[in-house]
Amino acid sequence: MHWGMFDSIDNFNKGKKMKKLSIITLLVLFWALSAFALDGNEILKQVDRNLNPESFEMYRKLINIEPDGTKKEFIMFSVKKGKDKMASVFLSPASEKGRSTLRIGDNMWLYIPNVGKPIRITSLQSVTGGIFNNSDIMRVDYSVEYNCDKIETTDKGYTLYLKARVRSVAYEAVTMFIDSEKLLPYKIECYAASGMLIKNLYFKNIKDFGNDIIRPSIIETDSPLYKGYKSYIVFANIKSRELASEIFSLNYMQKIDDLR
Amino acid sequence: MRQFFLILIFGLISIFFYQSVFSQSTDNDSIDPGLDFKIEEFEKKPYSLNGDIKIKETLRFLDRDSLLFKQKYLDNYTETTSWQTDLDLTIEGQYQKDIIKLYGRFKGLFYYNNNENFESEGKAEEAYISLQPSFAWAFDAGKKVHKWGKGYAFNPSAFFSRPKDLDDPYATLEGFYSLSVDYIKSMEGFLETIAITPVLMPVNRDLNHDLGPEDELIWGSKLYLFAFDTDVDFMFMISDNLDNHFGIDFSKNISPSFEIHGEAALVQDYHQYIIDEDGNTSEQEYDAFNFLLGLRYLSSQDTTYIFEYYRNGQGYSAREYENYLTFIERGYDHYLNTSNKTMISKSHAFAPYYNQQAAMRDYLYLRISQHEPFDILYFGPAITFIYNMDDHSAFITPQITYSPLTNLIFDLKTSFLIGKSKTEYGEKINNAKIVLSVRYYF
Repeated sequence: MHWGMFDSIDNFNKGKKMKKLSIITLLVLFWALSAFALDGNEILKQVDRNLNPESFEMYRKLINIEPDGTKKEFIMFSVKKGKDKMASVFLSPASEKGRSTLRIGDNMWLYIPNVGKPIRITSLQSVTGGIFNNSDIMRVDYSVEYNCDKIETTDKGYTLYLKARVRSVAYEAVTMFIDSEKLLPYKIECYAASGMLIKNLYFKNIKDFGNDIIRPSIIETDSPLYKGYKSYIVFANIKSRELASEIFSLNYMQKIDDLR
Repeated sequence: MRQFFLILIFGLISIFFYQSVFSQSTDNDSIDPGLDFKIEEFEKKPYSLNGDIKIKETLRFLDRDSLLFKQKYLDNYTETTSWQTDLDLTIEGQYQKDIIKLYGRFKGLFYYNNNENFESEGKAEEAYISLQPSFAWAFDAGKKVHKWGKGYAFNPSAFFSRPKDLDDPYATLEGFYSLSVDYIKSMEGFLETIAITPVLMPVNRDLNHDLGPEDELIWGSKLYLFAFDTDVDFMFMISDNLDNHFGIDFSKNISPSFEIHGEAALVQDYHQYIIDEDGNTSEQEYDAFNFLLGLRYLSSQDTTYIFEYYRNGQGYSAREYENYLTFIERGYDHYLNTSNKTMISKSHAFAPYYNQQAAMRDYLYLRISQHEPFDILYFGPAITFIYNMDDHSAFITPQITYSPLTNLIFDLKTSFLIGKSKTEYGEKINNAKIVLSVRYYF
């Protein structure tokens, strides 16, 4: 027997082991890299949860400022459950008091006490006038309506390029600028299918609402289509709340004020 | 009294101009948007009280040649116009303690015209108690409006409510005394919501006596389903004197800006009372089928179109309606020749059937409204057409609303009735009308 033969076998086995090790190392590295790659849709879901709990109640003040300086204010109480159910009732002014809105997915209704029954409305209309439309006022989770096509890292954080999941969504595309530290948006650009900029939303004045709800308390909006107009939403008293599903139905629309 | 109301209208208009002229800076940057929010101001109280006051001036241009004018006034009315000033006060109150809620809406109507002078009327449009032991259940007892149906102008499936005024379909209605229950159940899956609303309505000398002279208990129910993004209702009403009614309605968005809706109702053993041109009366009994199909569309220019076709199976044919008008014509001529009112008086007995709104069979309704055209803030013009397909007469109403101040709404409406002789809209008492109203909410 030749001892060199065993050396060859040894070297062969060592070579095989090295190959195996290299392959395993490469696989581990690849897995680690993909784990650390940014997932825009996951970030979007986190942004949704940072903006509000999945089920909650809140008060809001909508302010429309016209080019001549006059302003109109609306006070609303709203409740939201899950990803796509929202109901609101107007508390002020007197001409709007008692009107309520309901959103379930892509369906929206308006209840006017005089009319006495709910009527269907569209996301592009506005129950309050001004720049905010019904889709802005009855906002459900962004991750329900939009898919993240692309994500970029910037000095301030992330920029998400979102596309509407279905045609019925108010804006065909949305660009969301996110603070990476807080995972909250500070600006959102809303685009039509033609690529035209419809409006900008600015998220301002981070506030601690209690119970780990820390989010912008003011949304300001302007639009190149409505020069000279400005609208604001001011948030107050955002609280987590478990809500019965029956509240989000046409039959409950005239009783939403009873939830306060 | 009329001068008082005119001064009141003038005063309200003056307040508006004062506010507009002396309002604050026009510089947007110096405007404090009021981003503070005192939530304490809006904390829920156990009671609430709201209302509105409306002043309305109506000018009617009378058609003294029309047959319904002659039926009502014979030759006793010589004016060519008729005016009326109305002051409507609505107070709405609510009190809630735990699961019990009391609600009432009261209306005071004061009017003054050149015919009847000053008149007033007060009524409770709604007054009921509601027991709400959970989000799913509600039990109501008292005077309540049950508005069923999806149509805007016509509602063949509105079995438990009074008919709407086609001139103002969004006006509040007076309810009927009833007991009702509302049960809501939400589910996972394609059928997301189901709700059932049974209703009991007694009729006797004290309650709901305008529904009929005989005592009875009317009952019925509505079943609501929300499935596949569609609202669907099934309803029925069982009554000895008002005939049994069975109905269905639906509403769905085909696209975000395009909605379709419909209603259908079967009225069993409907009795129709007919008078011919000679004054011979007869009665038909049949199962009447009423239905409505409509759509609403919002354009990219913020124009809303509402279009409905309504088939009134309980209505009169063009021939039957013409015969009724011919009988009035003959009755009027007979009165002029003999001073005998017998024929005209006989026609009055059928006026509740023939003179009601939408008394014939086939109607088209179209309403076009524009949100703030030419960027004129708080300005909303609209025009409404009601077209009688059977006799080709029409009712056209251009309208302007303007709300420059919070809680203050100006409304100017003109109506034109167009039609040949012996047609529904060609023989109404007036052929045109102007209505100016101011409403303030508090």
